[in-house]
Amino acid sequence: MVRFKIRRYDGEKSYWQSFEVPAKKGMTVLEALYYIKENYESSLAFRASCRMGICGSCAMKINDRPRLACETQVLTLGDTVKVEPLDNFKVIKDLITEFDGFFEKHKAVKPYLIRKDDNYAEPKELLQTPEELNEYYIFTLCIKCGACYSVCPAAATLDEYLGPAAMTAAYRFCADSRDEGQKERYEIASSPNGVWRCHLAMECSEVCPKNVEPAKAVQLLRRKTAFSILKSLLGW
Amino acid sequence: MGVSGWFKFKGRSLFSWAFTFQRLTGVVLLIYLLAHLTYLSSLLDKTGATYESMIAITVSRQFLVFDILLVLCGVFHGVNGFRIILHEFGIAYEYRKPLLVIFTVIAVVVWLYASYVMYSLVGG
Amino acid sequence: MESAKSVMEPIAWILQMLTGLIMILLVTLHFYVTHMTSHEALRYAEVISRVTQPEFRAMYAVLLLVVSFHAFNGLRAILLDTTAGMESRKTVNTLITLGFLLAFVYGLYLLFSI
Repeated sequence: MVRFKIRRYDGEKSYWQSFEVPAKKGMTVLEALYYIKENYESSLAFRASCRMGICGSCAMKINDRPRLACETQVLTLGDTVKVEPLDNFKVIKDLITEFDGFFEKHKAVKPYLIRKDDNYAEPKELLQTPEELNEYYIFTLCIKCGACYSVCPAAATLDEYLGPAAMTAAYRFCADSRDEGQKERYEIASSPNGVWRCHLAMECSEVCPKNVEPAKAVQLLRRKTAFSILKSLLGW
Repeated sequence: MGVSGWFKFKGRSLFSWAFTFQRLTGVVLLIYLLAHLTYLSSLLDKTGATYESMIAITVSRQFLVFDILLVLCGVFHGVNGFRIILHEFGIAYEYRKPLLVIFTVIAVVVWLYASYVMYSLVGG
Repeated sequence: MESAKSVMEPIAWILQMLTGLIMILLVTLHFYVTHMTSHEALRYAEVISRVTQPEFRAMYAVLLLVVSFHAFNGLRAILLDTTAGMESRKTVNTLITLGFLLAFVYGLYLLFSI
């Protein structure tokens, strides 16, 4: 039996509630949450979808660390499992947090290929070598779960901070050999709420469930942005 | 979440400790800079009396503990800062974990050595 | 041509790193000379004779410049990391620049008056 201590929120007050869950080998935290919802407390609210670590819905703080509930084994966590919503997000109910702002920031960096010869009527095949793919491949794996944003100290104090996930998406496209929209994205990235607010706490890279290395992406984006600005300043 | 978000360590890695200490030591050193500049005004007294009386208090056994703490702040900030500069230039990002441990050890070793020299100079 | 505002941040970022690197050398040197040789190094007469040497004076002026920049720019980074600071960033930038100039000018004044 494992005790689950869940931080609940009903719209007005926050409180803890405990449940005893019969944990079997192979059981994930997500399965335990479904068990609690089906057997003890049907009002427990949480987001989940694919159950296999690809949709990014079930990211939450489990024993103080942000993880995907569907990828966390209950029996590795000890006798008591503390479950809380992600930090740095506004809690709507129980473990569900506001994600609109997170997605807005992602949209703001123009996360799509920008090309001058965009023509839907006559689509063109864009060739790319494996080497060119390797330049940005790892940054394509982001599932927008929000774990990185929840541990970022800049995101904790600056509400409008773009955040590691959005800037990783920005870099993913800037580094894509098929893209021609770098200048636009550099301008967005170098806004006051962008790359300059990162100070390399690097916790984001530590908690990313897909090992996307957002801290590295932000550094690379920062360098490219800085040199692009300085080059245009010197008229090169 | 506010500034308390800069001081969360439960469930976080060593990297968060390094970040917070870099900030803390930075602020301490800024305050020290202002104090240092003010303290140096005593040199304007060309007889040297004001300066010597300040030195008598601050370069003494009683003050050694503050000196040692200050040196810890300075050494940690500098060594950790160097690690951060390396990563910001894109160097050795893949080795960030070993680098963090190595640089923390270097900071502690340098600090212990400097503290020992200061201690022996006050007749320890 | 980029506006002054958007160019300030990358320049400040690069300068923060550069001044940091310069300080690793100069602060170590400064600390060594004052605290790791002998106690005589801190006597009034010793300090004056050291500071009035042209090489030391130049070194101290450079040290003063980089330390003042790095410290105040660092404080600026901390303040701009907060929503309150970001919303009043013009004020923050102005006050920080003033603080930096005050510290640098006052230090220079001391350096050349003693």
